Amino acid sequence: MVAPPLEFAGEQPEVTLVVPILSDRAEVGAVIEGLGNAMDSLGRTWEAILVYSGVSGPCWEEGLALQSSSHQQVRTIQLHKAFGEAVCLSSAFHHARGRWILTSPQYVQIDPASLAALFERADGGADFVTSWRSPRVDSWLNRLQSSLFNAFLRRLVGTSFHDVNCTLRLMRREVLEQMTIYGTMYRYLPAIAHHRGFRVDEVRVRHLAEVAGGSGWHGPGVYLRRALDILGVVFLTKFTHKPLRFFGALGGLSMLGGGVIASVQVALWFYQDDMQGLYQRPLFLLGVLAFVLGVQIVGFGLVGEIVIFTQARNVREYRIEHVDE
Amino acid sequence: MCPLPVPTLSETKPAVAVSVVVPVYNEEQSLELLQGEIVESLEGAGADRIPSFEVVYVDDRSSDDSYAVLTRMRQADPRVRVVRLARNYGQSPAMAAGFEVSRGAIVVTLDGDLQNDPRDIPALIERLEGGSDLVVGWRKDRQDGFLLRRLPSILANKLIALVTGAHVHDTGCTLKAFRRELVTNLPIYAEQHRFLPVLAQASGARLDEIVVHHRPRIYGQSKYGISRTIRVLMDLLSVKMVSSFSRSPLQYFGLLSLPFMALALIFAVRLGLQVGQVSFASNWGQATLLIYMLTIMAGAFFLMLGLLAELVVKVSGLHGDRVFAPLERHGRPNGSVR
Repeated sequence: MVAPPLEFAGEQPEVTLVVPILSDRAEVGAVIEGLGNAMDSLGRTWEAILVYSGVSGPCWEEGLALQSSSHQQVRTIQLHKAFGEAVCLSSAFHHARGRWILTSPQYVQIDPASLAALFERADGGADFVTSWRSPRVDSWLNRLQSSLFNAFLRRLVGTSFHDVNCTLRLMRREVLEQMTIYGTMYRYLPAIAHHRGFRVDEVRVRHLAEVAGGSGWHGPGVYLRRALDILGVVFLTKFTHKPLRFFGALGGLSMLGGGVIASVQVALWFYQDDMQGLYQRPLFLLGVLAFVLGVQIVGFGLVGEIVIFTQARNVREYRIEHVDE
Repeated sequence: MCPLPVPTLSETKPAVAVSVVVPVYNEEQSLELLQGEIVESLEGAGADRIPSFEVVYVDDRSSDDSYAVLTRMRQADPRVRVVRLARNYGQSPAMAAGFEVSRGAIVVTLDGDLQNDPRDIPALIERLEGGSDLVVGWRKDRQDGFLLRRLPSILANKLIALVTGAHVHDTGCTLKAFRRELVTNLPIYAEQHRFLPVLAQASGARLDEIVVHHRPRIYGQSKYGISRTIRVLMDLLSVKMVSSFSRSPLQYFGLLSLPFMALALIFAVRLGLQVGQVSFASNWGQATLLIYMLTIMAGAFFLMLGLLAELVVKVSGLHGDRVFAPLERHGRPNGSVR
């Protein structure tokens, strides 16, 4: 069920600031004050939506207090449970009135004065401005893993962004109107928007300090999830409309490898004098296994292709910027 | 269960008789010449045959001045419409965008590089009105290099004909004429514009082809190379499979699982005959059991995939749609079906 639109005070603003609140350590007041003052000094009218992803306690009280003290310029939304950033953004977007959507992390880790650079690019015609914390004030481990991750992403997805994890982003309404965001795709929004044909610019912003607790070694689960994310983004941006190319390449390779291994084993068995049986050749089994695996992977590609074929008219792969008559 | 309505690309009534759709990528030098030739050709056919037309140029985000040239052309002639894509997508998406925007009862597609001759358009339209749904141009006297362009094309077309049974000499020729119904109903995605005839025939369309002129390239660079041939073959496979698989997925996936099931059966019989000998204690027994398990798994896997695909096709609601249903005909004379 869709909730009725939130009521804001005043005229339609230029910018809607969206802050997903994911933990009770969020610095709600500081974020709103910093970014709000920055926008005021840039002469931008704004409203803010705080989306609490199942977070209650003093942090929620603070948001409510802010809501009444700001005379509804700041609004709060509480999700029933921790749905994550993507759901936060899409439910806030449902209420946002601004022509631009500005998203911010829940901590003050970027100098709000950097907003000027973001708005400058937006006025210059960009549809989406993403920020790059540079130079990064962080532990060496954090800097290393972040730069490795971003380098991988750049290479595999073919974008030029240095800091996709930085969620201080300014985007045109249309970007969110034309994309469905779910799951971990929130993190890769710049890459996906770029792929959809939006003009995405990256600006350097001044990094203040990493928040305690959000740094260091994350544990194997997190790294595994990031690796899966990259796989997902590559697949969705490059192969959405041709799944058989992806699965076909993988499966074909496996079939080829398996076929070669198995037939070499059969040939050896046939021509060698030692009469070592086929069953004494584990490599033969490996070959057969790889071949069958390959056939199955191609089978998946076929199902993927059927999904796209039957939905091709709903999943348009191009974006018309405008039609001049 | 009531399937969701599938939105069609353009539900408005045809506003003009003929739409000419031209995908454009870096053709700044050719465009004005091309527009002159199109207008001359269509106006030359007479207002009684072609009462009105529009030319839809789809700028696939050219890096040269094509868009500026197109804008100038549009200001000079109101029949020109310019679609600008958000980035460079390739020829098939550009063509799909052109189809979406076009309003003609007949849609003609044309290359932007002057190699197709717009003088052939009236002949294509005439043939279409003679009772076909799709008329494909055949560049019989093709003006391109033999080894790199013509030979791969000939081989690819032979293969397409062999695999799909759609006998068209030159599926890669962009010069084609479509009835509106076909354009609104065919799914075009990836690089499949060259297989439109195949997909069209699968939906029961009547295909026809005529020999068209082909001219050597004057301006600009060819955008295709030999590496395309491999991708085209991959696409061929997927088009063929998808268009038949989507009709009754379980049947086809069942067919795929058949060899594995047969193999499993052979092993099972063998096992049955040698109950005493087959055990994990003997080498041969171990190998047999492993292969037996593998084949059973693969066979079952394909059956399950078939069921999954049935679900996908059912939910898509396409079976109530005209991609699979035969095109309706309204009192037109029955032309020959190639």
